Amino acid sequence: MEYVIETDGLTKIYRSEGREVLALDHLNLKVKRNSVFGLLGPNGAGKTTLIMTLIGLTLPTSGSAKVLGLDVVKESLKVRRKVGVLPEGAAFYDHLTAEQNLNYIAALNDIPKEARRGRIEEALRVVGLLDVKDRKVGGFSRGMKQRLGIAQALLKDPELLIFDEPTAGLDPEAARAFKDLALKFRDGGKTVMISTHLLFEVGPLCDHVAIINRGRIVVQGNVKELVEKMMAEEGYRIRVWGRGNVGKLVEALANLKGVKDVRLEENYIVINAASDIRTEVSRLAPECGVEVATLELLTPSLEDLFMKYYKWG
Amino acid sequence: MASLFVVASKEFSDIIKGKRFIILLAVFALLMTAAVASTYTSVTQGVSVPRGLPRGFLLSVASGLATMMSYFAPILGIALGVDAVSGEREKGTLKMVLAQPIFRDTLINGKFLGTLLAISLAVSVVSFIEVGGCILALGVIPTGDDAVRLALFILFSILYAMAYYGIAVLISTLSKKTTVSVIASVVIWAAFTFIIPIVASLVAYSTVPIRIQPGQNITGIRPGQEMTPEARQLMEALRARTSIVETINMFTPNYHLTRIAQYILQASVRVGFVGIRTPTQAERAVTIMESLASSWPNILVLALITIFTFIISCTIFTKQEARE
Repeated sequence: MEYVIETDGLTKIYRSEGREVLALDHLNLKVKRNSVFGLLGPNGAGKTTLIMTLIGLTLPTSGSAKVLGLDVVKESLKVRRKVGVLPEGAAFYDHLTAEQNLNYIAALNDIPKEARRGRIEEALRVVGLLDVKDRKVGGFSRGMKQRLGIAQALLKDPELLIFDEPTAGLDPEAARAFKDLALKFRDGGKTVMISTHLLFEVGPLCDHVAIINRGRIVVQGNVKELVEKMMAEEGYRIRVWGRGNVGKLVEALANLKGVKDVRLEENYIVINAASDIRTEVSRLAPECGVEVATLELLTPSLEDLFMKYYKWG
Repeated sequence: MASLFVVASKEFSDIIKGKRFIILLAVFALLMTAAVASTYTSVTQGVSVPRGLPRGFLLSVASGLATMMSYFAPILGIALGVDAVSGEREKGTLKMVLAQPIFRDTLINGKFLGTLLAISLAVSVVSFIEVGGCILALGVIPTGDDAVRLALFILFSILYAMAYYGIAVLISTLSKKTTVSVIASVVIWAAFTFIIPIVASLVAYSTVPIRIQPGQNITGIRPGQEMTPEARQLMEALRARTSIVETINMFTPNYHLTRIAQYILQASVRVGFVGIRTPTQAERAVTIMESLASSWPNILVLALITIFTFIISCTIFTKQEARE
């Protein structure tokens, strides 16, 4: 099985007080096994609805979805048995200790009593909470609670982990710890799906992303491929810094074939072209009396990608 | 099925270790102790010792137990049910639990089961304090019949508390916030306990006014006397009033517990019209089966309230979207 998640025309319409809200609009999504997948989108884009549908807690209005080859409507219990989920805004019982909370979750997952203790301790060790297992969760910091949430998702040793807004409200150190864990899970053979609107937090660790807005997947694929696609569509941005007759070089560059725009930005020449014209720039610069110190291709960041497709959505 | 018992076991454990439950139990245990003291005082002072009756012990205990239970059971049911769903939803624990491999109805069924056990424990404890206290204070050993009647009353008190729990859970399932659920539940309890009975009396008094003129001959209302037309008219008016009050009060669970207590705990009936009681009225003993036969409609109503609120809560909760 190449894909752990596959949706086909998945649509969800919420009906409330005579109003209809289209939360998922004929959504087609594929998530590759053994990768870190980023489901990116602004608040209210439909990310949480998609996750709730994928684990069978919300019924789709139309379309279908399979998770680990299981139908999310007909086999929702099996899906939740195999998928570790950290829902957005989920919490633990404050009056119970970390271990008691996990014991309850383990019991709900039918983990045999004799195996529970070992599994709980292992999950707590992975997230670094083993030392505080006997402390009541009410006294935990937000970051610790989030780590406990990850521990509960790990209890069933799932093939697929789904985290909904995992870094929201975390301090930078806790967010970084989460990213390290996500990569560790992927390296351990698991698939990790991260849903977030905080692109800068988790975007860089994603192998594949899908940008969702207004219930639709605007774009999805490998991050590198998407960046290349964007450069092909939007043009290549090349930045030059050098000494000499910069004005002459700017004029010469503007007359080059395929150059859309040339401008000066804080002593740098920034060129927007239809192709990578770095060879032509290095040829023209000495002719214009410019000694080039820096010549670089500005690769669009995931944030640029997000902003472009976010606007499209 | 295993998940049901996991949820029930956690719910039971949470309730009995919770401050709310312990405080309620302690307060009512104290009140029951006060009721025992009151019973002891009245018996030793010979005020209300029904020595001539075969079930004197039961009558001594019944009044305090039934009165206390009519307050304790609803408060307990509401206190445990008021945040059963809305509280978990507000705190975010509902999302965490539902992300596990359990059905939504399993969660609510487990909560009902766990709470049923906790309520059974609480009602039994406070009842045993009253009964045990009376046994020690009065030095009377209850008969087998008394014990069965008390056990039945405890059982129906549990049902009564569960009816209120069912109402509170239904409100909690419908409410997005616990504060709303608390206010709505308390208003409903106050309506059932105070407002509806007052309204019932007002309606009865205004619909059937009774004016006794000076010199009016109303002899004959006591057994053995010949009834005058005025007395018969008065009796009819009183019956009509009672009927109106009872019809309106029938809509409250409290009325049904009172009736059950009357039938089950008062092991004798007065012969003749019960509206006006006199010491000379004849009494006859009734069997437990007779008491149950008289009280079954009331038992059925309490059972139906519990079952329907449970089914409706379960249906609503199952259909609610996880995103909410």
